[in-house]
Parts: sequence; structure tokens; C-alpha cells
Amino acid sequence: MPESPIALPGQERFVAAVEETPLADTGSFDDTGSPENQWQEAWKQLRSNWLFWVSAAILSVVTIVVCFPQLFTDIDPTYADLSRSLDGPSKGHIAGFDKQGYDVFARTIYGARASVLVGLFATLVVTLPGVLLGAFAGFYGGITDTLVSRIADIFFAIPLLLGALVGISVINNLWPNRGYWASIFTVVFALAAFGWPQVVRIARGSVLEVKNLEFVNAARAIGKTRRANLWGHVVPNSMSAVIVLATVSLGVYIVAEATLSFLGLGLPPGVVSWGNDLAAAQVQVRSGIRLGVMFWPATALAITSLGFILLGDAISDALDSKSRNRE
Amino acid sequence: MWWYLGRRVLQAIPVLLGSTLLIYAMVFAIPGDPIAALFGDKPVSATVKAQLESQYNLDKPFIVQWLLFLGNALHGDFGMTYSGRPVSEVLAEVIPVTFKLAVMALIIEAFFGIIAGFYAGLKRGKLFDSTMLIVSLLVIAVPIFVFGFVMQLIFGVKLGIAPIVVGSDPSIPDLIVPALVLGLVSFAYVLRLTRTSVVDNLTGDHVRTARAKGLSDGQVNRRHVLRNSLIPVVTYLGADLGALMAGAIVTEGIFNINGVGNLAFQAVRKGETATIVSVVTVMVFIYIVMSLLVDLLYAWLDPRIRYA
Repeated sequence: MPESPIALPGQERFVAAVEETPLADTGSFDDTGSPENQWQEAWKQLRSNWLFWVSAAILSVVTIVVCFPQLFTDIDPTYADLSRSLDGPSKGHIAGFDKQGYDVFARTIYGARASVLVGLFATLVVTLPGVLLGAFAGFYGGITDTLVSRIADIFFAIPLLLGALVGISVINNLWPNRGYWASIFTVVFALAAFGWPQVVRIARGSVLEVKNLEFVNAARAIGKTRRANLWGHVVPNSMSAVIVLATVSLGVYIVAEATLSFLGLGLPPGVVSWGNDLAAAQVQVRSGIRLGVMFWPATALAITSLGFILLGDAISDALDSKSRNRE
Repeated sequence: MWWYLGRRVLQAIPVLLGSTLLIYAMVFAIPGDPIAALFGDKPVSATVKAQLESQYNLDKPFIVQWLLFLGNALHGDFGMTYSGRPVSEVLAEVIPVTFKLAVMALIIEAFFGIIAGFYAGLKRGKLFDSTMLIVSLLVIAVPIFVFGFVMQLIFGVKLGIAPIVVGSDPSIPDLIVPALVLGLVSFAYVLRLTRTSVVDNLTGDHVRTARAKGLSDGQVNRRHVLRNSLIPVVTYLGADLGALMAGAIVTEGIFNINGVGNLAFQAVRKGETATIVSVVTVMVFIYIVMSLLVDLLYAWLDPRIRYA
């Protein structure tokens, strides 16, 4: 702060020359670099957050495990040796064996694929139509909004777990003995069917906030069509909340798949997945023997899901200018 | 206010109708013959079969079945289970159990979540805050049934201080461990919500004014920060009651509690249309009532909000 221009008693009245005040700077700020947009700024913020790097490390490892499980173990996860049922850890089998005589470590490694795929596809299937419908509802308003919002309300009012259970049992009855991909997509669609209204609500809310901002009005004033405005300005600028939601829900859907499998209505028993292994391990845990059978898949699942939730958290912090300014 | 209330109630009707129709349509799509399943290996005579089909309205088209169900539900008749008991009777038996469990979970999550969230918010960035952040994320990342089994093992099997499974008509102490398990995930959300809200309020104008007046830190925190921070938390808790009742399927399964979740799960496995649709209807009803109450509560807690 410059010295107070208001004269104290006994002082001569003095008003500083413009050059000596901070006002001088306003005419000469540096405008040579390209202006940073919201995403560049968020990325800068993200890089300085250690939680982001933790989640990035977790997710890199998970990605490699999902793509190349054979790099981590030579053991076939579908080979059961009943004579070694519930054997403890031994050389070459660091996690021991489960009830069926499967190698717990191999199953934990190979189980990553099904669990992560369910989370990934469920998030995609929920997010794309959710954003589309939410954007239409928020932007066009009127009858479109009423229709989309009411239909979303109907699906939202049905609890996710209950709805998914009914959905999966219907598909199980209509189409028993499906293949690997069909089984995965059954769980994906059952979760997505009752998960999309949340995305619609968030996307609609953000679009409502953005659609009357000055730059949107400016774009309209220079003659952009409504549609160009929606996809070119409104949607890109209301994506931050949706991105956070999508990242966090990826973790939450992985947990939900395990819960459905635990109830016996998730992936069929033939599919190697964390949910199935956890469901099978409940007998051992109840009797308190060989807790490792549950410990390994549970830990793998928790770390993976934590990776996505941490990432969502870090992105949310980076995009939230309110918390940024306060630091 | 009354105008707002009336409009909300009218809006709730299509939601209730739509969600029952949706579930009805899904259950209706399940092929198979529930009457034949009821008799197991024994042959069913054609007359008995026709009699049962007309008794359970199975011979009528789907829309008619749905309308009949709705009409009867309006005067408290939710139809019959396939074992011949009225669904309303079964519901009256299981709903109080799940309600007790959900309320206990709600009290536990509110108590611990608000206290931990409040201190985490006050000590932002300190060790306690970081620990609570990690704990809350971990709770969300681990499936609830894993916690259920671990707690069952520790408190029930190893320490022997809580019943391992809970029978019908459980007492409050019986339900403490299941309520802990059920409330765990929401505890994490309450904690995070309280923390964010406290952090927001700490920089608020009213807090600065309170400090400028010369109130002590303790008084400012309790009277001005905490009370204002609780507004979003209380509304979350209100909406959570319905979610807890519907989400009790897993917890009730682990501890063998005879509640709504178990009933719904068994009904889904048996394809018992009337029971499934009734449970969903009750759940949707609770959800709608709670979200309406929460909206009104919000206006009462926060005088800045007025419903025209």
C-alpha cells in the first residue's frame, strides 16, 4: 500500500503522482502470453497436489494389471487344486489358496479386469446420455426440461441396489448362461439404469448456471446459433462437476459390482472378479479361518476404488476456484 | 408455502406411479411359472392352477395387473405373498425392524460424523484433518460387506460382546453392531460435508463480525460456525434415512436381520411380484416424503430461503 494521501495535522496536503501509485501498473500489465483457460489453470493446481500423484500412481499400476495380468503371475487363476484347499502361503504362492484350491494372488491379479471394466463401462454408459439429457433439459427448459426431469425423478426414486437387483434377476431369467462380455454388460446396464439420473441432475444444474453468463450472451450477440452455443460454449464450461462425479462414481461402481456379486446377482461364478472372490470368501471369514482369502481381493478392490475417488477429489479441488483463492 | 407444498405433492404422484410401473414391468418380464414353482415337483391340476392364477391376477394383462395392484394398494391391500400371507402383514412386521436399524445408524453417523467433521474443518490441513480425509475415503472405497464381516468377526466371534446374528424382533443393543456397519458409509459423507461446510463458514462475514464483537473462539465456533454449518448436514441426514432403509439389504443379510432388505432380496430371488413392487413402493414413498420434509426443514433452518 502507498502512503496515505490524506494529510495528517501539520502536514502539507499531498496527492501522489500517478506514476508513484499502483494505478500506474494498470496501464502496463503483461499481456504477451496466451491467456490461461480454466483447464490449464486446473492442471497447474492438480500438479501441485500430492493426492493427485498418489492416485495417478495407483491408477497407472491398476491399468497395467488390467491390461497385462500375465506380467505379474504365471499361475492360471482358473486352475483349482482341491488338495491344496485353504492352504496357507507357500513358496510361489504368496497369498495361499482359497476353498476351491485357486491361487488367491493369481485371482486377485486377474480379477482386476472384470471389476475395473464394470466400473469403467458403467461410468461411460451413465455419463454420456446423462450429460446429453441434462444439457438439453437445462438449456432448452420448458417442456423438454419437465419431461427429462420427471423421468429422471422416477428412476432416481428407486434405490440403486434394489433396482439393480431386480434388473439383473430379470436378465438372468431371460438369458441364462451368458458369455463373459454379456455378463459384464448386464451388471453395467443394471447399475447404469438407476445411476443416470444423478448425472442428469448435476449436468442440468451446471448448464443452468452457465447458460446466462456473459460470454454465452456475447456469443449469442455475435450471431451464434443456439445449438452452436450449447455445444461450443455452455457444455464445455459446465463439465467440471460432471467430470468430478464421473471419476468418483467409477470407484463407487467398482464397489457396487462387488456388492451385487456378494448378493449372488452380480457377475456369474465363472467370471474371475474381486466381487465373486469376496462373496466366496465369506464362509471362511465367518468362521475366522484363513482371513487372507478375503484380505487380498478386498485390499486390491479398496486400493483401486480409492485411486479413482482420490483422483475425483483432487480434480474437484483443482476446479473449485473458491477453495483455490482461500489457500 | 401451502401452494409450494401442494405443488410438490402433486409432482410426487407421477413419480410414485412411474416407479411402480417401472418395477412392475421389469418383474413382469421374468419368464417362468410362479405357480408351478410353488408346487415344486408335485403336478398341479389345471383347475387349481387356473384358480390360483385368477386369485393372484396372473391371468390378466400386465397393465391391468398393475392398475389392480395400485387400486388395492390405495386401501392398504398390497396383495398376497406366494406362501399365502398378505404382503401388508409381512411389511408391518419388517418395516419397524429396518426403521429401528436405520434410525440407530443415522444417530451414530450424525454424532461421530459431525464431531469429527467439525474438528477437521477447524484444524484444516493439520494431522487430524488429513487422517479423517483418508479414513472417510477408505470407508467409501471398501465394500460395506467387508466391514460387516470384519465387525461380525471382531465383536461377535472373537470378543463375544455382541450377538453374531440377530433373530427376529431384535432389541436395541442387538442392533448396535449392524447399525455401525450400516452407518459407516454415510458417516464418511457426513464428515466430509460438515468439514467443507465448516471451512466455508469460517471465512463468512457473520463469523468475522462475531470475532470482532470480542466473542471467545469457543463461542464463535459453537454458536456461529457450527450452527450455520449444520444446515446442509441436517438436510443430508434427512434424505439419508430413506437411503439407509433401502440400503440395508447387505447389512441385514450379514447379520440375518428380518427386515425390509431381506424381504426384498428373498422376493427378488423368488420373483414374487407383489412383494417386490410393494417394497419398492414403500421405499419410493419414504424417499418422496423425506425429500419434501428436508426441503421444508431447509427453509425453517435457513431464513434466507422462502418458498413462494
